[in-house]
Amino acid sequence: MNLKWRIGIIFGLVALSVWALFPRTVVERVKRNGEFVYDTVRHVPLKRGLDLQGGMYLALEVDDSKGPVPDKSKAVDNALKVVRNRIDEFGVSEPVVQKAGNDRIIVELPGIDDPQRAEDVVQKSAFLEFQITDKTQALEKALPRIDAALKDTKVATATPAAAGNKDSTSAGLQSLFTADTSKKADTTKKDTTAVAGTVGGPGAFSKLIQPGRMTGEYFVAQNDVNLVTQYLSMPQVAAALPPGKVVRWSSDTLSYGNRIYRPLYVLDAKPIITGEYLTDAKPNTSPTEGNLVQFTMNNEGARRFRNETGRHVKDFMAIVLDQRVMGQPPVIQSAIGANGQITMGGKDLQAAQDLALVLRAGSLPVPLRVADVRQIGASLGRDSIHKGITAGTIALALVILIMLGYYRFSGALAVAGLALYILYTLAALAGFSAVLTLPGLAGFVLSIGIAVDANVLIFERIREELAHGKTVRTAIDEGFRHAMSAIVDSNVSTALTAAVLYQYGTGPVRGFAVTLLAGIAASMVTAIFVVRTFYMIWLNRSSEAQTTLSI
Amino acid sequence: MFRILHDTNYDFIRWWKVMAAITIAFILLGLGSLAIKPPNYSIEFTGGTLMQLEFSKPPDVAEIRSSLDQAGIRGAEIQQFGTNREFTIRAQNPAQVAAQARGAENIAISIESVLKKKFGATELKVIRTEAVTGTVGQELKRGAIIAVLLSFLITLIYLSIRFEWRFATAAVIATSHDVFTTIAFLKLMHLEISLTVVAGLLTVLGYSLNDTIIIFDRVRENLRKGRKESLYETLNRSINETLPRSVLTHATAFAATMALLIFAGEIIRPFAWVMAFGIVTGTFSSIYVAAPVLLWIERKWPRKTGARQSSSTVTPTSRTRRSPATAAR
Repeated sequence: MNLKWRIGIIFGLVALSVWALFPRTVVERVKRNGEFVYDTVRHVPLKRGLDLQGGMYLALEVDDSKGPVPDKSKAVDNALKVVRNRIDEFGVSEPVVQKAGNDRIIVELPGIDDPQRAEDVVQKSAFLEFQITDKTQALEKALPRIDAALKDTKVATATPAAAGNKDSTSAGLQSLFTADTSKKADTTKKDTTAVAGTVGGPGAFSKLIQPGRMTGEYFVAQNDVNLVTQYLSMPQVAAALPPGKVVRWSSDTLSYGNRIYRPLYVLDAKPIITGEYLTDAKPNTSPTEGNLVQFTMNNEGARRFRNETGRHVKDFMAIVLDQRVMGQPPVIQSAIGANGQITMGGKDLQAAQDLALVLRAGSLPVPLRVADVRQIGASLGRDSIHKGITAGTIALALVILIMLGYYRFSGALAVAGLALYILYTLAALAGFSAVLTLPGLAGFVLSIGIAVDANVLIFERIREELAHGKTVRTAIDEGFRHAMSAIVDSNVSTALTAAVLYQYGTGPVRGFAVTLLAGIAASMVTAIFVVRTFYMIWLNRSSEAQTTLSI
Repeated sequence: MFRILHDTNYDFIRWWKVMAAITIAFILLGLGSLAIKPPNYSIEFTGGTLMQLEFSKPPDVAEIRSSLDQAGIRGAEIQQFGTNREFTIRAQNPAQVAAQARGAENIAISIESVLKKKFGATELKVIRTEAVTGTVGQELKRGAIIAVLLSFLITLIYLSIRFEWRFATAAVIATSHDVFTTIAFLKLMHLEISLTVVAGLLTVLGYSLNDTIIIFDRVRENLRKGRKESLYETLNRSINETLPRSVLTHATAFAATMALLIFAGEIIRPFAWVMAFGIVTGTFSSIYVAAPVLLWIERKWPRKTGARQSSSTVTPTSRTRRSPATAAR
C-alpha cells in the first residue's frame, strides 16, 4: 500500500513535470517579414533570460543635471506610464517595463536587433510645442549687447567632448530667457563672413551668424555650432538675449554650395499650443515633402489651435520637438483646425514611425538618462545555449560513468534518480515562470555533479551498515535514516545562501539563485524519496527478501 | 563491491601545522599582490563600458587601439575573446566612467561609430554591450558585499541552531578561509571579479560548508556514541569515515566543473575557474581548518562532560586523556 502510494506520487510528479514542460500554444507578438503581429506560437514554456535569447536591458533614471526634479518618485511613476505606452507600441515580444527602487525604470526588450533605436524611443522627451517665429528682428537688435557681453569675457576654447556634441547643443539651449529689457540698441547690419576658430574679441557672436530665408531664421556654419551653443549657454549672453524670445536650433542642416549650415531660430517664448492636446499621430510619405508625421488634436486643442493660428495668419509657425525646430517653419495661410503635420526633413520612414509612436504615447514628464545598459546579440545567446548544453551533456555522461562504475546497480538507481532530478528541476523552473540565464545554466550543469552527493551519502551509509552485518533491507533503511541529518543540513544551508543571492542579485545572478533553489528541492526529493522507492520496488520484486545488494 | 579508501585510518590532523603554513602563505601571497595592485573589477562594479565585437576577418589590434585613441578613448583594454575575430574592449578608467554620468551609452556609441568608420560598417558586429554608470557600479558593489556578509550571518545562525556554537564557529571560520583563498586565487590568476564570479564565490561557500557539515555531522554522531577517545581521535575517525563519500562527491562535482570550464565558453569560464578552485579549497578547509579550529575552541572552552552522553556508563570521557594536539604544546 505504502509502496503503491510512493509510485503513484512519483508518476504524478513526472506527469506534472511533463505537463509543465510540454510545448504549448500561446498568443505572442512575433516578427513576421519585419512586421510585428500577434500570432500563435508553440514553444516549451521555459523562459530564457536576455543573456540567452539576446536582447536589451536598460535601467533609466531621472536626469536631474538639467534642473532639479522635486518629487522624483512621482516623476518616475509618471514617466513609467509613458515609457510603458511607448514600449507596448514599439513591437517587441514580451517586454518588461517596471519601476526599480525609488527612482529607476527597468526596461527589458528581448530579441531587439536595433538597440540604438530602442534607446531613442525610450529616452525621447517628445515634448511638442508650436511657436511663432520672431518677426521683430529682436536678435539683430540684441547683437551689440551680446557682442559686448562676450568682449569682456575670456572664453574657454575647450571643445566639447567628442561624444557629447549632439547633447551639448540641446543642453545649452535649455533656458534662454532674458531679464534685462531696457536698452535700445542700434541696428547695424553685420558683416556676416563667418570665421571659425577665433573666440572672444569684437563682434564675437555676430560674426558667426547670418540672416536666413525669413525673419527669425539665422544660419550658422556647422563648424561653429558648438561655439555658438557654448556662447548661448553663458549667463551673460543669456541675459543679453531679447526678452520674451527663445533661441532654438533646427533639427536639420542645409548645404549652400559646399558649406553646411544649421539654422538657428528666434521664437516667441510662449508656445501657441503644446502636444498635450494631441490624440493621434501617424507616419506618412508625401511626394513633395518626403516623410512626415500627421497628427490630430482633440476638440479643445483644435479650437485653441484654430484661434491662435487665426491670429497669426501670414506668420511662420515653428514646430518644436524637444527644443529642436522640425523642418523649415511653414507660413500660416489661414486658421488651422484639428490636423497638422511635421515634416521629417531627410530622415527615413522609420524615424517618422518612431516619432509618431512617441507622440501618441505622450511626452516624458522628466528627462531620463541611461544608468545601465546590457545588450546581447541573439547569435551570442544561441551560442551560449549551445555551449551550455554541450557542457551539460558531457557533465552528465561523466557523472553517470562515475556512479555506474562505482556503485553498479545502486548507481543505476541513482542515475535514474538523476534523470528525474533534471526533469523536476526544469519543470520547477517552468512552473514558477523562473528565468533561465547563462549563470543559471552553468549552475544547473554544476548541480548535476553536486546533486548525486545525497545519493553518495546514503550509499556509503548503506555500505557501512552492510559491513556491520545487517541484512540488506535493514541496511537500506538505516542508511537512509542516518544520512538524513547530513543531507538536510547541507541542503538547507545552501538554500539559505541561494536565497541571499536571490535577494541581492540582479538579472543573471538572480537566475542563478533560482536555478540553485529549484535544484536543491529537486535533488532532495529524488535522493530521499525517489531512489528510496526504487529500492523498495526492488526489495518487493521477489517474495523472499533479497540477500545481496550491488552497491 | 568496488571500494576505494575504505576503512582507512590516516592521521589527517597531524599535518595541520604544515597545511596551515601552506594556506597562510598562499593567502598572504594573494593579499600582498592585492596590496600592490587592486583586483580586476568588472565594469559592473567600477562603471564603464564593455563591448564584444565580432569582425568578419581578423583585425589588427594596433589599428583598433589607434582608432580608439583618436576618438579620445585612451587606455581601453583590448582583448581577444575566443576566436581571433572576436575581441572585447573595456573602457573603465575614471575619465571614461565620468563621461558616462550623463548617459551610460555614450562611450559605447563612440566606440561603435569610430570602429565602423575605420573598418567598415559591415566588417564588424557588436554582439554584446554592457555599460554601467559609476553610481550603479557602487550600488552593485555594495549589494555584493552585503550578500556575502549576510550569507555568513544566516549560515552562522542556522548552524548554531542545528549544531552547537563551537561547531558553528569552526565551520564559519573554515568558510571564511575559503573566501580568502578564493580571493587570492582570483588575484593570482588575474580573473575579473564580476557579479557572476561573486555568485560563484557564494556557491563555493555553500559547497565548502556542505563538506564541513558532512564531517561535523559524523563528529556529532561519534560523540554521541561516547567512545573512550579524545576529540582529536574522533575528528580523525570522522574524516576517515567520510572519506569515500568525499572522494566520490568531489569527483562528480569536479567532473561537472571541468565540463563547464572546457565546453561552456568564454563568458562562463571565470565562474568555472572559481568553482574548480572552490572544490579544492572547500575540501581542504573542511579537514585542515574546521577540524583544528574546533579542537582549539574545545581546548579553550571545554564542553561540560557527559552533557551529550547522558546514556553512557561512567565518566572517563574524552578530556581525561590529553589529546596529542594539547600535548604538542
